[in-house]
Amino acid sequence: MLVSLLIWLENLAPFSSLRSSAYAYPIVLALHVSAISLFGALIVASDLRLLGWAYADCPISEIINQLRWPKRLAFILAATFGFLLFACKGEEYYYNPFFRTKILLFLLIAIHAVAFRRSIYSDPAKLDHSLKPPAQARLAGSLSLLLWLAVLCAGRGIGYIVGRPGMHYH
Amino acid sequence: MAIENPLGTSPTAFPVLECFHIAGFALAIGMSTLVDLRLLGVGLKKQSPGQISRAFEWWTLGGLVVAVFSGLLLFSTDPDMYYSNWSFLIKIACLALAVTFHYTIRRRTGLRDVSRSTAGLVACISMVLWISVIFGGIFIAVVRPGLT
Repeated sequence: MLVSLLIWLENLAPFSSLRSSAYAYPIVLALHVSAISLFGALIVASDLRLLGWAYADCPISEIINQLRWPKRLAFILAATFGFLLFACKGEEYYYNPFFRTKILLFLLIAIHAVAFRRSIYSDPAKLDHSLKPPAQARLAGSLSLLLWLAVLCAGRGIGYIVGRPGMHYH
Repeated sequence: MAIENPLGTSPTAFPVLECFHIAGFALAIGMSTLVDLRLLGVGLKKQSPGQISRAFEWWTLGGLVVAVFSGLLLFSTDPDMYYSNWSFLIKIACLALAVTFHYTIRRRTGLRDVSRSTAGLVACISMVLWISVIFGGIFIAVVRPGLT
């Protein structure tokens, strides 16, 4: 069911031509990586602040609030290029253990976001009073760093699994 | 007797090094872009460009060092191929330009009061240079003879 949907998707004209194009595909890949660099730095910047390792003289809420929308936009940018790469090889990716790992990690990241939403992200001003970031903030920051680093490694791994014969590419 | 590069014989060494390489350059390029975006008036607006670049200065340099050293190890697995790969050569030229620009003109622009148009121009040059490095890196595998 899911696989037949992916086969339909990958054989739509724009995706099948993206797949077989010698230059468009690597250009989208390079744009994906460029967007990841920006998104990654935004994540690291806010996590470093939560850990108290950078910008310690500036209130946590000031950094978290200012980076909230840039993080969302950069994620949408990286995810859009990522979706293009996925859509033209969906069937192959479905069987790719690194891609499955990456999806699982995104699930964990969603759980992380929900779990720390109330204590950290929705109202960071309440973290500003103590000199040292509270343990909860440091936990959120370090888990976020670890999870996103794992996503990066899983993402790189996807390209190492070559699609097996019998893919329904038209 | 030829000496085998242990990185070339291990199947996992190259991908693991690549993860370090990507994490390192993403940190360095992304952090530099935070300052570029601020020069364009976007992002951490409550901080000055100089404050942002000072706050993340060591993280940017750290990312750059990790990327360069993992890159040298990646290069060592097949130096002849890289040396004759035009995308790699363009990448290294752009990298040299980007690093030089970053630690000279871009740094001074961040610390001084300059006009909006000058700041914007410097930010755009910086971002174009870094993105060229990423494109050059991705296209190494594309222009590699025998792979396309």
